[in-house]
Amino acid sequence: MSGWRYAPLSATGVLEAPGQDRPEAEGRDGLAERAELLAHRQAGRRARIRRVATGAAGLAALLVLWQVGAVILRDQVALPSVSQTVAQFVHYLGRPYPAQGKPLWFDLYISLRRILIGFVVGVTTGVAVGAAMSGWRFARHLIDPVIEVIRPLPPLAFIPLFIVWLGIGELPKEVLIIVGVIPVMAVTTVAALDEVPEDLRLCARTLGATRRYTLLHVQIRAALPGILTGMRISMAGAWSSIVAVELLAATSGLGFMIMQAGDYLNTALVFAGIITIAGAGLVLDGCLRGLLILADPSRRR
Amino acid sequence: MRGAGPAAPSVGRVAAGPHPGAAEGRPERPAAVGTAHVVLEAVGKTFRRAGRRTVAISGVSLRVAAGELVCLLGPSGCGKSTLLRIVAGALECDEGSVLVGGQAVAGPAPDRGMLFQSPMLFPWLTTRKNVLFGPKAQRAAGADERDDPELDAETEAILATVGLAGFSDAFPHELSGGMQHRAAFARAMVTRPSLLLMDEPFGALDAITRVRMHEFLLRMWERYRITIIFVTHDIEEAVMLGDRVAVMGGRPPGIREVIDVPLHRPRQAADADTAGFLAVKRRIRAALTA
Repeated sequence: MSGWRYAPLSATGVLEAPGQDRPEAEGRDGLAERAELLAHRQAGRRARIRRVATGAAGLAALLVLWQVGAVILRDQVALPSVSQTVAQFVHYLGRPYPAQGKPLWFDLYISLRRILIGFVVGVTTGVAVGAAMSGWRFARHLIDPVIEVIRPLPPLAFIPLFIVWLGIGELPKEVLIIVGVIPVMAVTTVAALDEVPEDLRLCARTLGATRRYTLLHVQIRAALPGILTGMRISMAGAWSSIVAVELLAATSGLGFMIMQAGDYLNTALVFAGIITIAGAGLVLDGCLRGLLILADPSRRR
Repeated sequence: MRGAGPAAPSVGRVAAGPHPGAAEGRPERPAAVGTAHVVLEAVGKTFRRAGRRTVAISGVSLRVAAGELVCLLGPSGCGKSTLLRIVAGALECDEGSVLVGGQAVAGPAPDRGMLFQSPMLFPWLTTRKNVLFGPKAQRAAGADERDDPELDAETEAILATVGLAGFSDAFPHELSGGMQHRAAFARAMVTRPSLLLMDEPFGALDAITRVRMHEFLLRMWERYRITIIFVTHDIEEAVMLGDRVAVMGGRPPGIREVIDVPLHRPRQAADADTAGFLAVKRRIRAALTA
């Protein structure tokens, strides 16, 4: 989970060509070494393509298994086929579902909106809390036990409480996500900032950076990969919270739609809803992973 | 001698050091001249943690001449890193005084470059951008007046000097250990320090790479004519590099003895087997165990 991964000093191995560190190498233009660097990068790209292809094959195999199972079972309620699920998804994507009066895209929009509002507020607050804890010993000693108490609690335990306090509108759903995100972000932010070596700060200062410049361009920048990893964890938690609260206490959203479809034994639509959640989760996580790769070049392989 | 010698206060950061790459050939060593670059007078530092007082160093006096390479040698806990950080301005001493270039040290500044055991490259920046970090940071503070073409040319020159010309767009994790240290050296030198503080910089490297880095450092030292204070716990490393070796230790920790290394320059790895080299090693070992 660490965003701070130093390449080991003597064992990077990547480019340890014979003569690499020989003094004679200094004067040369390093063309051979450069070719090696480029070859290494290209090999990394090829490995990445292979990895993605393997992953896609795994997903395809799952779909095939599902379809074969559905054909053997021949029971549309227990296990609808892939094609039936796709048909339901396409049918209700733009058409309102009778029991609810809203099309699928609208439920997706509602769920996404709750997640994003809760996520943005939760991440901002959590990072601020974590930064305060990392920089200020008193804040750490004050807040740490609070977080340790809240963190292991499943956010779902708060649902009845939030309904009593905040009603059944949008607010309790957003607050539920915020409550789940804040402790995770605070803990990962503290860890990421703590992991930045003190000498890295000193190094920046001896290069002529002011305290402020060092804080922004070194300490926070160095902690960024760790913070982004925390955001990926938070995002996964936010999805499980939002679907659960929509199953229990909502009149819209993907969770509610799945519940409705289940009540009417439209299993294909249940599957379509689940796959929509998976797809939306994948896209949001993909965005965060993209940011993480931008922030941490050592992950580009 | 350098342009703005240490006798003149080297506050003007950019103008302070010699121009990188300007010194070609073997410079005259300004040893034994009266101008002390670094002057430590009875420096002491005591850490107080949870009511316990630990004397890190006590009564340390040392004069380092301009262009000299002095090694601080001692076992762990002898205060050598503490002393180095006091000169760097990362720690304040609570006794005595520290003068660098005639000026009292107040906080870290780019006229005193620092290198660490880990190269401390910024992992999110390419080699080139790592080197440019100092000038950019100083420009943000309004202290570096070099314009972009000048900086680019200087960065290219310094990367070629340390043998990383083909790796300016490589990220630190793509470099070997020795290359990472050379990149860190280039990054420190581009801000034109007059004094380089090195805290066991090659301690984590394998023995073969370490020997190469010694030769590299000595060549760079000749080229840039900077003053170096080099912290190590390795006797052979101290003798290979130093003009003088300050042996540290004792209770309370301080400098036990400063030993001259009367070996010729330039030195090579093979010199470690000569009788003169071994004699100096023996003297230092005696001072350490005395």
